[in-house]
Amino acid sequence: MRIFVIGAGQVGSTIVEALHHDHAILVLDTEGHRLTAIANRYDVATYEGDGTSQHDLAAAGIKDVDLVIACTSRDEVNLVAGMFARREAPRATTVIRTSNLEYVDLWRAGQLDVDFVVCSELETAHAISRIIGVPAARQTDVFAEGQVQIVEFDVQEGASGDVVGIPLRDAKAPRDSKVAAIIRGSEMLLPGGEDVIRPGDRIVVIGSPQAAKEWGALLSPGEATVRDVVIFGGGRVGATIASVLLSQGIGVRVVEASKERALQVAEALPDARVYNATGIDDDFLERERIGKTQAAIFAMRDDAKNLYAASLAEVHGVPFTIGIAHEAVSVAAFEHAGIDVSVNPRAVTAEEIIRFAHDPRTQQVALLEGNRYEVLDVTTRDTSRYVGSRFRDMPIHGALIGAIVRNGTAIFPHGDDVLQSGDRVIVFTESADAPRVVEAL
Amino acid sequence: MPQGAARRIGPRRRLVVDLAATANLIGTLGKYLGVAALFPAAVALWYREPVWPFLLAGAITSGVGLILERASARSAGHVGVREGFLVVSLTMLLTAGFASLPYLFAGGEQLDHPLDAYLEGMSGFSTTGASVVTDYEGLSKSILMWRQFTQWLGGMGIIVLAVAILPRLRVGGRQMMESELPGPEVAGLPERIRETARMLWTLYVALTLLATLALASLGWLGIDERMTEYQALAHAFSTIPTGGFSTEPDSMAGFSPETQWIVALFMLLGGVNFMLLYRGLVRRRARLLARDEELRLYLALGLVASIAVTVQVWGYGIASGETAIRDGTFQAISVLTTTGYATADFALWPMLLLLTLFGLMFLGGSAGSTTGSVKIVRHLLVGKVLRRELDQTVSPEVVLPIRLNGSPVDERTLRAIAAFILLYIGFWVVGSAVIGIDSAISNVDLGTLDVMAVSASALGNGGPGFGITGPLASFAPLGDVSKVTMILLMWVGRLEIVPVVVLLTRNYWRR
Repeated sequence: MRIFVIGAGQVGSTIVEALHHDHAILVLDTEGHRLTAIANRYDVATYEGDGTSQHDLAAAGIKDVDLVIACTSRDEVNLVAGMFARREAPRATTVIRTSNLEYVDLWRAGQLDVDFVVCSELETAHAISRIIGVPAARQTDVFAEGQVQIVEFDVQEGASGDVVGIPLRDAKAPRDSKVAAIIRGSEMLLPGGEDVIRPGDRIVVIGSPQAAKEWGALLSPGEATVRDVVIFGGGRVGATIASVLLSQGIGVRVVEASKERALQVAEALPDARVYNATGIDDDFLERERIGKTQAAIFAMRDDAKNLYAASLAEVHGVPFTIGIAHEAVSVAAFEHAGIDVSVNPRAVTAEEIIRFAHDPRTQQVALLEGNRYEVLDVTTRDTSRYVGSRFRDMPIHGALIGAIVRNGTAIFPHGDDVLQSGDRVIVFTESADAPRVVEAL
Repeated sequence: MPQGAARRIGPRRRLVVDLAATANLIGTLGKYLGVAALFPAAVALWYREPVWPFLLAGAITSGVGLILERASARSAGHVGVREGFLVVSLTMLLTAGFASLPYLFAGGEQLDHPLDAYLEGMSGFSTTGASVVTDYEGLSKSILMWRQFTQWLGGMGIIVLAVAILPRLRVGGRQMMESELPGPEVAGLPERIRETARMLWTLYVALTLLATLALASLGWLGIDERMTEYQALAHAFSTIPTGGFSTEPDSMAGFSPETQWIVALFMLLGGVNFMLLYRGLVRRRARLLARDEELRLYLALGLVASIAVTVQVWGYGIASGETAIRDGTFQAISVLTTTGYATADFALWPMLLLLTLFGLMFLGGSAGSTTGSVKIVRHLLVGKVLRRELDQTVSPEVVLPIRLNGSPVDERTLRAIAAFILLYIGFWVVGSAVIGIDSAISNVDLGTLDVMAVSASALGNGGPGFGITGPLASFAPLGDVSKVTMILLMWVGRLEIVPVVVLLTRNYWRR
């Protein structure tokens, strides 16, 4: 595949790093030195030019590519580049990066003529919600903009008898969820109604965020669900994290140093409690009992501030800290200093684009159990032979439909629901069967 | 410096308000206002009563308006924000004067004193409903209808009507209209003001017609013998603008229970925000109505007040059964919406009931309705501000925007509301003091609560007070100073204080 990458910054170079082995890549940027740096490390073609110039894009050879990724740090450049790419190379798939949630909404509503929009803030927020969203989870992946979660659990001794030790058809499983797989030792099975979950197993569950949380509570009754977090920094990253966590029913407090911005955040998020204070104000942390929160997220613009504020929060007794590391090198520094988890927004953005690049039709591919099983997110074609058939009538060929997304809303189908053309289907399948499943749909 | 420059600067101008522009606009308004006298003139013609008092009053008003307009036309500039306050305030005073002319010409003995006639005029146009009339038999049908009609004109407002009709007010009318429309400017007016004004008046006229029809049909069906077409129109004119004048000495008491229930319902409707009502009913967006915080609180308070008064009326043995429920509900809604109708002489009720009604005088209806007093939305927002204060006492850093129906309310609006409430209380206290002192000097028999109620009732455009100024009595026995005070309170109260008080500041005139 020929890939055209616009922007050779942190996101661009991460994408190049992941894709340069298997694909022919051309990188365009206005800064010559960045291109030199990238060309010295990877075997890619470069072109010095402007992403907003139709002439430059044409001269660089955008006509012949299969995939265009516009991932500069500026939204406007990415939007214009995406627009020109659509004109110059109508058959190429276009991906743009944005930091504005409004563009994501526009794209979902079909108002933005690109194939995929990745928002750094949203990806960061999803990454964080994966970390604190579900207790006892080994790994969580979100699909359909967070409406569908695929979670891998360790089943512990003392797990609730409602779901463990009895056949699945009798289990009182949370609503809107399905057990996609049971992993026992080296064996993995797609379970039927007569199969039983046992302590010591690992299971994969597909379901709504609420159902995932309920599963967590059922499988490890001792572990606390995160119900209350404090976010330091109410900028775009912090506000997006806050809104994603609020949508999952987690109580959020936001600490923002700028008075104006604090008011904006408070107005935009009625359910969050917003403070106009700095994260390094000892009196404030004491007065508001910040130390009693379950987790704190440091999303200020300055990595150094995040680091210090996190340390101070730990002094106050915060048990779990998550730092947003804007610079790649900060991830190591944060971990060294004892911050529990670090998230680099550019890295998660790049990861999301890379996932998409692997197969544009599957919007997200989660790899579970060391590549043996895959979760596919496929849009059904009119020609699929399963369109119009009921779910209970579909044969199980080592695949399980966990959820469908119809008109932007996730549905967790029951036996009598009917698959329609244009549905986005989230399928759990063995890697070996994946191409066949994609083909069938 | 070049020689001519200093000369061009000219002398210092001390007055920054464009009086000519103000006079010019008031003149235009007066010119058209005079036409309103044609309606009672037609009524007079129908009942074979003298027509000349109305024609003369109309001619004087239009004539003065025309002269004012012509005289100031040459030097008149643009009517800006400053001039707007003056126009709104003075128009109210002049309109009351216009209303009083027919009383002077044909009101007989009880209205021929200029102060009494002016009080009656101001009471009408401010939709207060406080009256000096004692002998209703002595007034002609056309004069009585004129009283009702002034309330109807004043209810939705002369300026709002002018904005809807006069092309001239398309520019600069917004702020004047906002001054005249009751309630704080929480959301601003969403549409173009001309459309808003037309929408308000359309709904207003439609509701009035509906009320007339509902009442008249009670008469036609023989349910209420006294409810003639004349009475139906007269009372619709007074119910929808929550005025309170009646053509009968015993207010609504003489009408049938069905009539009283229907009037209560329309009073309640008059207290709803008309813009909200328009969007909810005409544009079929019922969810807006169901979700509106102010409307919900208004209806809840209406219900609680009705129950509280009913329980006491029943408990004290004043009435029982359906009569108790009807009397309780009617009086509670009448006072809450600052209408001032009565189905029972509540001036004779025991102290606890009087205190309940007295408390209701300070509530009012919704913003953008025809009611007076403080308005529900202000109470609602002040309550929210107080809750925020308590929260911030514990957590000083917490940022809590005040929301109304989900959207944040500007801090300036909240300050303006706090200022309004303080001014309102101030005017009420000073008004009470003046009326109290005057009553003591001129030997008028008013108790402490009566004095406070008269002041609150005038300021809130409610109407009747307690004691000798009760709903079935009249304000005629009050001293002249008290009457002047009442006029001022009604004037200030109808315009919601600020547009008038701002005229008293030095900055308004000088810089």
